[in-house]
Amino acid sequence: MPILTDEIKSYIGFTSESEVACDVVEKGAVRRYAQAVMDEDPMFWEACDHNARYGGPVAPPLYPTLLFRRSFGAPDPIQENASNPDFDGFTSPSGQGLPAIAGLSHLAVLNGGSELEFFRYALHGETVVVQQRYADIHERESSKGPMVFVVIEAEYRTSEGELLLRARRTQIRR
Amino acid sequence: MVMNQREIHFEDVIEGADIPLLEKGPLTTTHLMRWSAAMENWHKIHYDRIFAVEHDGLPDLLINGSLKQQFMLQLLKDWAGPGGWVWKVSFQFRAMNPVGETLKVWGRVAGKRAVDGYGIVDLDLGIVNDAGKESTPGKATVALPFRDGPPLPYPFVAPNA
Repeated sequence: MPILTDEIKSYIGFTSESEVACDVVEKGAVRRYAQAVMDEDPMFWEACDHNARYGGPVAPPLYPTLLFRRSFGAPDPIQENASNPDFDGFTSPSGQGLPAIAGLSHLAVLNGGSELEFFRYALHGETVVVQQRYADIHERESSKGPMVFVVIEAEYRTSEGELLLRARRTQIRR
Repeated sequence: MVMNQREIHFEDVIEGADIPLLEKGPLTTTHLMRWSAAMENWHKIHYDRIFAVEHDGLPDLLINGSLKQQFMLQLLKDWAGPGGWVWKVSFQFRAMNPVGETLKVWGRVAGKRAVDGYGIVDLDLGIVNDAGKESTPGKATVALPFRDGPPLPYPFVAPNA
């Protein structure tokens, strides 16, 4: 039985307001990130020959996309769902200005893939801003039943408006 | 390990050649938890085995797609060197990689062309596990300077179409 309804499809084209990341690019957060991906490149930590042309220590290229976290004092979905056995813990994309698609909230979320285009690294201390839109929502039948593909386009910029990267992500809901 | 230590120029690139493989793993639950904490993503399929298997019907905890894409970017960054620029990357998560696997991130030069002021290299990419199964096929486009040319523009300026 198809999942997609006209109400769900009406989200296509919705564009968010610009959202400012709640934290600047912090040296300690970059360290934890670089260590977690096992890429302790000096350019992510201190001024060196390799980051001289970037203006000093930078964050890894995808770091700006993961900088949009729950801001201080915002509702805590983990606590709100502490008694919900179906809560899957998936909270990170709730921000970034796009509304959750109500008709898909009962479905699991899988990462389908991305198209990325990079222009500049974020420097330590910089602030990142994102604007996103639902570019497409469509359904396909699979061997495990219907799956909905939600395509989200995003532009990440510095607070000065300099383009860092563009991302076009596909989220699979089933 | 940091590989980003040498310069590569457009003239050095050979079509059809493999670029140096990047190996990560075996990736344990601890690796996945460390990554989840670093990015503050609490999706249970990466650390709560009972939820992953019994609730979501998955075979085991899954290596994060977001972690696999970091590995692809590292592969390309290290190959492009400090003088190059990883311009475009795309990939699809076609298969799951359960916790415990070792991932081999690979790239192969699919083509190259000179544009105004620098060179462009297209690559095929992917991630295979120990059994050789591909999970994350993709493509990338990397800009490299000419040996006797100027540095790449920064911030990067895409070539005219």
